[in-house]
Amino acid sequence: MNAFRFAWRSLIRQPARASLGVIGVAAVGALLFDMLMLSNGLVLSMQTLLGRSGFTLRVSAAGSPLPGTGQPISDSTETAAAIAALPEVAAAVPVRFANSRILRDAWERAIDADLVGIDQAQRRIWTLVEGGDLGSAGLAGRALVNENLAALLALEIGDMVHLQANCGMGISAAPAVHLPLAGVADFELDDSDDLTVALTLQDVDRACGGEGRDAADQILINAADGVPDQEARVAIERHRPDLQAFTNAQLVARLQEGGLSYFRQISLVLTTVTITFAFLLVTVLLTVSVNQRVGEIAVLRALGLSQRRVIADVFCESVLLVGTGALLAVPIGFVLARGLDRILKAIPGVPDELHFFVYEPRALWIHVALFSATALLAAAYPMRMVANLPIAGTLRREVIG
Amino acid sequence: MPRRWLIGLCATVVLVVALAGESSRAQEHAPVPDVLISRQLAEAFGLDSGDVVQFSNEQSGAAAREFRVRGIYEPTPDPLELNDTKFKARLHLPDLLALTARPDDPLAAEIVDGLNISLTNPADAEAFSRDLMARVPGVFAQPIERVMSRASVFVVLERFHFAIALVTIFASTVFLLALSVMLVDERRETVGVLRLIGLTTRRVLAQVFLEGLVIAVAGALFGLVLALASERVINLYFQWHYNTALIFVRVTPAVAFQCLLIAVPLGVVASVSASWMLLRRQVMSLARR
Repeated sequence: MNAFRFAWRSLIRQPARASLGVIGVAAVGALLFDMLMLSNGLVLSMQTLLGRSGFTLRVSAAGSPLPGTGQPISDSTETAAAIAALPEVAAAVPVRFANSRILRDAWERAIDADLVGIDQAQRRIWTLVEGGDLGSAGLAGRALVNENLAALLALEIGDMVHLQANCGMGISAAPAVHLPLAGVADFELDDSDDLTVALTLQDVDRACGGEGRDAADQILINAADGVPDQEARVAIERHRPDLQAFTNAQLVARLQEGGLSYFRQISLVLTTVTITFAFLLVTVLLTVSVNQRVGEIAVLRALGLSQRRVIADVFCESVLLVGTGALLAVPIGFVLARGLDRILKAIPGVPDELHFFVYEPRALWIHVALFSATALLAAAYPMRMVANLPIAGTLRREVIG
Repeated sequence: MPRRWLIGLCATVVLVVALAGESSRAQEHAPVPDVLISRQLAEAFGLDSGDVVQFSNEQSGAAAREFRVRGIYEPTPDPLELNDTKFKARLHLPDLLALTARPDDPLAAEIVDGLNISLTNPADAEAFSRDLMARVPGVFAQPIERVMSRASVFVVLERFHFAIALVTIFASTVFLLALSVMLVDERRETVGVLRLIGLTTRRVLAQVFLEGLVIAVAGALFGLVLALASERVINLYFQWHYNTALIFVRVTPAVAFQCLLIAVPLGVVASVSASWMLLRRQVMSLARR
């Protein structure tokens, strides 16, 4: 009988103990697998989200820590046109963000909503759900709202949207603008509670009462075919040193250093705790199990089983215990991750499409590697016990006992 | 403490600016305005009270103005600013306006981002907000509670930590149960002898219960000591990592009590249930080798 079969029989001889051991490893393993998915999940999800619209670079004023957070870009239409004329760039679309109040029937019944100013382009940062799209530059005069806002105000296509903008440049006393609703769209960075309205840049200028005319918070860039994003970034910054371009990868890296680092830290701490826990669990189970079977092991040695063979038995027992638990941990981990993801997505401002726990093969490989190391290390002490077992002395003690 | 109102951003000015020039120890007391700087900024640039520094709101450092460091302060730890810059300076409002106002804008020196308003009756916050916005179109007034809804981030994080704690408790319980089963099995013969000399199942269970209680209490207390010891290590690590005075882990009496409340009964239940599985067997099967 080979070592694996022998170890398997040792385990099933004590089904309660073996099952509890496997369940314990599976529970800890599921948590570990989730933490591995969490460690890089936000970054992967953010990369997917940013890449979805096809814009691979974002330009803002030099010195901005993140696109859209620094000084606005003045003369944005001209700037975007100049950038779009670069051979490394396929498209440049200026975007402006502001706050707005959508007036329902009177000032007292106004609703706060995010305002996005952008002209229709080949690529959009929304997916049209119903109705028509915004006009391109020069074809202003229509509004687009997200589904939350449409539902809240019971807006139908063609209804008038009464909007007052606050463009964040001092006190705005701009009068309300009234625009017909062109369509309802799903904005890619909206969270489940967001209320968003989009207008053309020209209409946002009008709504802002002319403040910051033709200003944009960022310009979305699409690099030309075959041109690496990094090359396009360098070209833009060389052409306009007063601007700063971020590739999506840079942006994600910046976010990773900043706001996303908390989850990386917590995943590191919990990974350490869970793997230590798994190690302790398996070590204790194997040690106690070997302690209870010293007589049996001494008999096997006396019957002629080699030292290497009994060590292999203990190691195989560890591998079976940890391996089965780690295997079960993967599906349990996926289920648990869905629950934990749902909890975290309740954080205000988290886009619907963003996920905290994202599967990647790397997570699975690390999971396998960590548990392999655990199986080996956890078996080390019991293996040493078995290796150093005095056969004659143990048999004598067993007989006297 | 009166409840505060917020219109737009706080008027309490916190400006983060690039340190444009080399600091120099002031030998003479020139009439330069005062500035408070954050501990982190002081450490990074080796600044001390009395130093004269230059601030500019231009990337190039142009149009810099001199300020004397009046003091160094520890920024109020704010979890929401964990990843923000810790290089902060507090200027008097007129000094800040003079530094940032655009020369071509005659109104620039009159513009602030927001005003904090303290009400005589804080309960009127909502009504006052509506009234103000109706009287001054274009002004956004918000009760501070609405702005503070950001705190819900921590409610979510607490829920997340609680969910992880539940999984950990489940795994610990299984671990404990497995260990109890093994330990009880190891004492099978002893229990068999106790039953043979006349001790009832209830009497043996009572003994196991007390043993389990002592071990569970000792284990839980050891866990608390471990938590208290690691509390400091974890706080030191995160405070170093984020360069903040924020406290990340705090073992409060309520948390300690909650842990005891979960750990002790779990330990006792694991011991008793494992023993019960053994005691259900026939006395002779327990005693035989």
